[in-house]
Amino acid sequence: MSRHSFPAFRFLQRLVACLLICLSTAIALPVFAAEQPTELLIGIEPEHNIFDQMQRYRYLASYLSDQLGVKVTLTIMSRYGEVIKRFKSRKLDGAFLTSYTASMGIKDLNLEPIANPVNLNGEFTSQGYLFVRKDSEIRTVQDMAGKRIIFVDPATMEGYLFPLAYLEQHGIRNINKFFTRFDFSGSDASSIFAVLDGRADIGSAKNTVFNNLIHNDPSIRQELDILAQSPRIPEITLCIRNEIDLYLQAKLVNVLLQMDKTAQGRKVLEQFKALRFVKSKKTDFAVIEEMAQDARAAIAEHGK
Amino acid sequence: MNTLSRPLLSMLLAVFFVFAAAPDSQAAKQIGVILTGDVPYYRAMHETFVAELHKRFTGAEKIEIIVQKPFPDPISWSNAARKLIAFDVDLIVSYGSPATQAVLQEKSNIPILYVGLYEPDQAVVTGKNVTGCGFKLPLSSIIRYFRHLKPVNTLGIVFTSAEEDSVRQYKTMAALAAQQNIKTEKIDIGSYADLSKLKTGNTDAVFITGSSLAHLWLKDIVSILKKRRIPTADIFPDDEESGGLINLFHPPLPQGKMAAEMAAQILLNKKIDSIPPYTSRDTELVYNLVEARQLGITIPIDQLIEASRVIK
Repeated sequence: MSRHSFPAFRFLQRLVACLLICLSTAIALPVFAAEQPTELLIGIEPEHNIFDQMQRYRYLASYLSDQLGVKVTLTIMSRYGEVIKRFKSRKLDGAFLTSYTASMGIKDLNLEPIANPVNLNGEFTSQGYLFVRKDSEIRTVQDMAGKRIIFVDPATMEGYLFPLAYLEQHGIRNINKFFTRFDFSGSDASSIFAVLDGRADIGSAKNTVFNNLIHNDPSIRQELDILAQSPRIPEITLCIRNEIDLYLQAKLVNVLLQMDKTAQGRKVLEQFKALRFVKSKKTDFAVIEEMAQDARAAIAEHGK
Repeated sequence: MNTLSRPLLSMLLAVFFVFAAAPDSQAAKQIGVILTGDVPYYRAMHETFVAELHKRFTGAEKIEIIVQKPFPDPISWSNAARKLIAFDVDLIVSYGSPATQAVLQEKSNIPILYVGLYEPDQAVVTGKNVTGCGFKLPLSSIIRYFRHLKPVNTLGIVFTSAEEDSVRQYKTMAALAAQQNIKTEKIDIGSYADLSKLKTGNTDAVFITGSSLAHLWLKDIVSILKKRRIPTADIFPDDEESGGLINLFHPPLPQGKMAAEMAAQILLNKKIDSIPPYTSRDTELVYNLVEARQLGITIPIDQLIEASRVIK
């Protein structure tokens, strides 16, 4: 019996050992695959007034640090190129990105869009406007020939991709030839002021900034005409690296989506100038890819 | 003197006069210019105009330019126009509206090219031998920039009732201010004594129109207002650093270049009625931070970044 039972015992012993190894490996696997950071470095794309912007985001970062038990640090970025570089070098765990940059990040870096802030007007989307001065006599794309156009930044949907796609749809591919000059203002507000002051004939900018300026100074509305509007796309999206611990990702989403349910959260939202956060999804950005297809030829033509 | 030498002397004298007059007659083309009051803004346009014109006529026909710098008043403008017509120049170039109006009133057949005209489509400068270039300027931007800096309940407007373009600017600005419930105070500068009007009143800010007369005394105007801590905005550049806070203006160089291009076409016998007038909308915005500090005004960063130039 013992001669027969010994190998059986050895077999059982080896099986248990194997199972234990497999189990422990299986348990350990997620730990190796997902990182459990002690700090989350979140990037921000600069707006017109970066001092005001940093102040707003600081309140949010402080709140998230408390709720997550992980220090959330902010860093301001210059532009799209830097976002990609810093995500690639893993010096960024997430970023609040404008629609075009978010779309590229999702596509090129497999970033995960997790939440969108809802602004004080109850909107989480924005759209691009193409506008002129009312007294400019520019009413159609044909009237724009030989004039000066101002874009916001090559990494913006509202301020660059949309106007290019719109012009392409109207048969204008070579903006170098079509316009006497094109410039990048660096911010939506600057684009609007450039057209108001006559430094450019045609401007592009996002509607939220446009409407905000009009809210503060209604006379602006009497001076500008909107000639075209883009589809609506999430204005700001918090995107994070997929490699971040799933538990932390879920917790981050939960904290953001529940902010408006607590007094403390609502206070921070007020300081952040938002009503709440809503869940983001990748399909929201499909329209940007369509616009990019339209604008591709124009971008190739003038090299931006 | 015998009978033979008298006619000989007459002939010699006639030949002498012909040779004396020769430099003028050899100048293939003559341009008469009216540069009101030698205002620096018009002077900058004119310098570019002359440089560009000489580039176009290098080694070709000689261009002679006769410049009149009348004091900004109707009689002086009229005299300047008459002198140029008497010279029988090939082209009269007039800077600003009042000078152009003065030439038009003389009803000569000499082609007229106006330069630096504020909103030419609103000015009465039509005729079969007239063309030129001017600019549009959104005066509403000046109210907006003022209001970003301080509350403006009353806006003073410096203008000259004898200058057509200055009056139009006054009317436009007054209408824009009314739309925003801002009261306006007329400050009509017709003589140096009128500067005393700046010493009273309850204006929060002052807009200086493109009045040539006001720009002759710009330093004094700004100095009086500065003592009262009243900021100024001007639609001419402050190249002589008179101390205005905001300058929103059409840049003079493109205007001078465009004028030279048009003048060259006219001098090369292109029909003037086939040269369409040109209106530029380009602008530059300059903030004077030194003045802002002295006036106790802080210009927000988001406003400063809109400036083409900041004087520090």
